[in-house]
Amino acid sequence: MIRLKKAGALMGAALITALVALAPGNPAHAADDRMKGKKVIFVPIAMGITLTEGWSRRMAEQAELFGIEYEVRDAAFDMKAMSELFAAAINEKPDLIVAHNPTVQLLARQIKKAEDSGIKVMQLNLSSLQNSTAFVGADWDRIGREVAEDIVKQCGEGSGKSGKVAIVPGQLTAADSVIMNEAAFAVFKEHPEIEVVSNQASDWEPEKARQITATVLQQHPDLCAVFGHWGVHTIGAGNAVKDAGKQDDVLVYATGGGNRLICNNIEQDVIDRYWSYNADGQGRDAATMMRVILQGAEPKDGEMLRVDSPLIVITKENYSPSMCWDMPS
Amino acid sequence: MIGRSMEALVLMLAIAAAALFAFFVSGFATWPNLSNLAQNSASLMILSCGMAMVIMTRGLDLSQIAVMTAASTAFGVLLTGGHGVGSALVAALATAVVLGILNGWLVAYFEIPSLLATLATAMLITGGIRWGLLQGEFLVLLPKDDPFIVAISSGRILGVPLSAVIALGILAVTGFILSRTIVGRTIYSMGDNIGAARLTGLPVRAVTLVTYVFAAIAALIAGIVVASSSGAVDFRTVTNGTLLFEVIMVVVLGGVSLRGGRGSILSIIAGVFLIAVLRNGMTLMNLSTQLQGLIMGMTLITAIVIDNHRNPRDPETETQGDL
Repeated sequence: MIRLKKAGALMGAALITALVALAPGNPAHAADDRMKGKKVIFVPIAMGITLTEGWSRRMAEQAELFGIEYEVRDAAFDMKAMSELFAAAINEKPDLIVAHNPTVQLLARQIKKAEDSGIKVMQLNLSSLQNSTAFVGADWDRIGREVAEDIVKQCGEGSGKSGKVAIVPGQLTAADSVIMNEAAFAVFKEHPEIEVVSNQASDWEPEKARQITATVLQQHPDLCAVFGHWGVHTIGAGNAVKDAGKQDDVLVYATGGGNRLICNNIEQDVIDRYWSYNADGQGRDAATMMRVILQGAEPKDGEMLRVDSPLIVITKENYSPSMCWDMPS
Repeated sequence: MIGRSMEALVLMLAIAAAALFAFFVSGFATWPNLSNLAQNSASLMILSCGMAMVIMTRGLDLSQIAVMTAASTAFGVLLTGGHGVGSALVAALATAVVLGILNGWLVAYFEIPSLLATLATAMLITGGIRWGLLQGEFLVLLPKDDPFIVAISSGRILGVPLSAVIALGILAVTGFILSRTIVGRTIYSMGDNIGAARLTGLPVRAVTLVTYVFAAIAALIAGIVVASSSGAVDFRTVTNGTLLFEVIMVVVLGGVSLRGGRGSILSIIAGVFLIAVLRNGMTLMNLSTQLQGLIMGMTLITAIVIDNHRNPRDPETETQGDL
């Protein structure tokens, strides 16, 4: 009898809790209300890339769910247009601007201007020199360090290899290239047997990456590894290695968002090792951060709210198709 | 005569640069590197043939890289969609020809200055293909195991890369058209004095159309060479790339005057040789991309200044919209 009373009391308490939770004005709903009608503008380097499409899809989903006004301003790889679009976004006074910085300098002043005028800025995957409210994206320092450590293991002392490495960044002033190069060179400094024979930017283009790699391969036929900073242009570098018949001798490293379009190249012997930060997961993280910021979260002075994306390393040995993600059609 | 002296100057410069690189840069003067140099400059040579022909008529094709990307996108989309190489090539050729006709028609029949007409078509093509064919994407990956793609990217004839052989073939066709046909003679006449060419009854409009179609077909062939080698058709080649700049640089450097009427395939060979040697040597020297761009830019400015000095504007024959 006592047990029944206790059970009844527990059920009653649970029901009251549920009703309270569902009642208007409870904290969960208050959070929803705080976001309703707020405006978010996403300014990507370009749409049409699985990275930006993947992020935007997740942010748009969450925005719709919580009544947030969400807009995308596509710079379509035009840096001048990007700066203008960002300025136009500031003029519209949204609650949050999501910035995808092409270089560490391009939007730095404008990010400061936005933050000074009370507009929160979330930097997505590529940071600028200017801190803002939040950063969501890959930990480039970790990726650069891990790739370099793996190169040392595969090409360094005791490996029987030449230790020669070619680095193919996207742009030398892009945040990911700057940070990954710093981290990688810090590792290589401790290993004098590693020689970086080339460090030339491909402007993110597969054909330029191919030409650079093909030329370096002629000068250094004993090249041990190619470190491409982004999977898309590294396809060109990997194809240069493959066309030279050196896919068993030269390791091709790349990083990227893990979409199947690029990720599949591991299976095709174009890329050997791929540090994936899973753009779909990043999109979910960005959407969560967007909601947290719109609810009023603030970083400590001079700091940023920060979410570093989890990484998976896909190699020829552990590759399975399930490690890549697909953009729903 | 003027064109020839420019070619000789550029050839001497290229030979001097090659000698310096051979002496100071390890790995430059080797057969594998020269073969690689030829392969890397094949697309530039092919594009330059098309551009040279247009410039010789006093025109300019700013849409050439957009046409290249559009036609190779059509090829790539069909190939990855499971169609055969033959049908993909026919569709790509049709795309290139239609776009070439559009350019030629705007310039020849509507008499819109080529600079403006091709700038507009470049924007139209880029937006249209990306929106209509790629649904917003910017990249098409080609199946690198397709025998046709393998042949273009790594095939060799007597040790010479197939892409370089194709480039030499296009160069020979260009030379034949320019030196042995009525079209070629009309091109030189148009470049020399378009008003006089028109008055003497030469088929100025038809030949203008032919030059833009030829430039578009050259763009298609270059596009297939580039896409087969890199494994991708990348739309950023149009929006971000420096390829158009390099093509114009090659043509002008070689002595094809921007005022038209001058130049030959020797001009193209000289220009491509200099740019290819500089690019290859600077890559081997591990110079940064920015520094390479700076050196290339200075080279182009020098070429334009020399061109301007040797071929001053002729008020009697210039027309509105001339470069």
